Amino acid sequence: MTDEPLVLGIETSCDETGVGIVRGHTLLADAIATSVDQHARFGGVVPEVASRAHLEAMIPTVQRALDTAGVTLGDIDAIAVTAGPGLSGALLVGVAAAKAYALAAGKPIYGVNHLSAHIAVDTLENGPIPEPALGLLVSGGHSSLLLVEDLAGRVEQLGATIDDAAGEAYDKVARLLGMPFPGGPPIDRAAKDGDPHAIEFPRGLTGHRDMEKHRYDFSFSGLKTAVARWIEAREKAGEPVPVNDVAASFQEAVCDVLTRKALDAAKEHGIETLLLGGGVAANSRLRAMSVERFEKAGMRVRVPRPGLCTDNGAMVAALGSHLVAAGVAPSDLGIPADSALPVELVSMVEHDVRVTR
Amino acid sequence: MKFTAATVEDTRALGERLAALLKPGDLLVLIGPLGAGKTAFTQGLGAGLGVSGAVTSPTFVISRVHKGPLPLVHVDAYRLGGALEVDDIDLDADVADSVTVVEWGEGLVEQLAESHLEVRIDRRADDVREITFVPAGGDWADRLAGLG
Repeated sequence: MTDEPLVLGIETSCDETGVGIVRGHTLLADAIATSVDQHARFGGVVPEVASRAHLEAMIPTVQRALDTAGVTLGDIDAIAVTAGPGLSGALLVGVAAAKAYALAAGKPIYGVNHLSAHIAVDTLENGPIPEPALGLLVSGGHSSLLLVEDLAGRVEQLGATIDDAAGEAYDKVARLLGMPFPGGPPIDRAAKDGDPHAIEFPRGLTGHRDMEKHRYDFSFSGLKTAVARWIEAREKAGEPVPVNDVAASFQEAVCDVLTRKALDAAKEHGIETLLLGGGVAANSRLRAMSVERFEKAGMRVRVPRPGLCTDNGAMVAALGSHLVAAGVAPSDLGIPADSALPVELVSMVEHDVRVTR
Repeated sequence: MKFTAATVEDTRALGERLAALLKPGDLLVLIGPLGAGKTAFTQGLGAGLGVSGAVTSPTFVISRVHKGPLPLVHVDAYRLGGALEVDDIDLDADVADSVTVVEWGEGLVEQLAESHLEVRIDRRADDVREITFVPAGGDWADRLAGLG
C-alpha cells in the first residue's frame, strides 16, 4: 500500500533525540541518540547540555533514519514533531529542526502531543486502536490515565499523578537502595527474588475520601517517603535491609494502584482495551498484573515492545501518520514548543491555539 | 522563625500563609530530605498564589511555570549537574516577574536573585515536620514578621 502516508517523526522532549519514519502503520526506521551518558558525566542533567546534545545529534539522527528507511526527505509526506510537554529547551530544538526540514522540503508539519504519541506507537505493532480505549501512560515524567475517544483529536485525561510520577518514584527508591539510574530495570530484577507481600507499603489515593476527589489520580510521593522511612528504621536498628523484599513490595504497591484505578476507569467508561505506554510499561510486573486483572474482567491489554515504550521518534511518526490519514489539518509553521502542552491538544493547529481555545 | 507541621496538610497550609507575603522576583530555596514535604509546601504556595495547573514534582522536567496574578516558577534541581542558570529555568518565564521556588537547590541557585528565603524542612522522630524560615538578605526578615 504505497498510498499510505510516509511520515518522519522527531522527538526531543527529554534526554532522547529520536527520529522515526513510518508508512501507515509500518515502522521503517527508529533512530535514537541519547544524552544520558553525557548527563552521567556531569552527575545529572544540565539543561544546556541536554539542548546542545539534541542539537548535535539532530542532523545525523535524521540522516540515519532516512538511510535505514531507504527514503529521501523528498519522499516524506509530512513531518511530525513533539511540541510538548517536556523540557522547554530540549523541545525547542526538535520543533525548530522540524520547521526547518518542513520549510526546506515544502512538507506539512504536525506539532503533536508527547502523551498521545506514546499511545499511538502501539499501532505500529498491533494495528489500529479500537476506540474508545483507555491509555495508561507511566514514565519518569508522567503517570496519566487517558480516555482515548479519537486518537486524531479527542483525548481526555481522567487522572494523573498529583505529586511524583511513577517512574520518578522508581528512580528515587532505587537511589535509596543503592541502585543505578534509571531505577526501573534494577528494581524489576531485584523484585523477582523478593516477596511482594513482605512489607505493606501504602497505596496512595485509594482511601474512601480520596476516591471521591481523586478517583483516577495517583500519588507516589507518600509511598516513596514510606520506603525511605522503612529503610531508615532498619538501618537505625542495625538490621540489614532486605533489598529484594523492599523492591518487590514497593513495585507491588505501584502496580497495584495503577492497574486497580485503570480497571475501575475501564469499567466506568465501558472500555474494553487498555493501552500501556511510557518507560514504566516495560516493567514486567506492571505488564503481568495488567494482563491478569484485565483479562479476568474480559478485557484486553495491548503493550508495545519495551523499545517502543520509552521515548522515541517512531511514536511521533506513528501519531503523525494517524493524523494525516484522518485528514487532520497540519500545524502552522509558527507553532511554539509548549513545555506544559495540555493532554487535550493532540496536535497544534495554529500557534495561538491555546489562547483562542 | 520556626513552625511545626504535624501533617502534610499543615505543611501545605504554611505554604499558603507564606504566599500572602510574596512579591515578584522572590526566590525560595527549599531544603529537606527525600519525602520531607517540599512539593507539598510548594502546593500550598501555589494555592495561596492562586496559580493555574496542578503543582506536582518537577524533577523530570526540571522546571514548571504556573501562570497567575503572581506566576510561580517551580524548579527541581535534583537531576541537575551544576549551578543553575536563569536561562535554564524556562524560556517563557521571567524570574523578575515571578516567584521562583527551587527544591534541591542549596548551593546551586542562590545567585539567581540578590536575596532569598531559605525554607528548611526537617522531620522529627515523631514524624512532625519542623519548618524553619531563614532570611538571606533583602527585606525578608521584616516581611516574615507579618507571619506572627
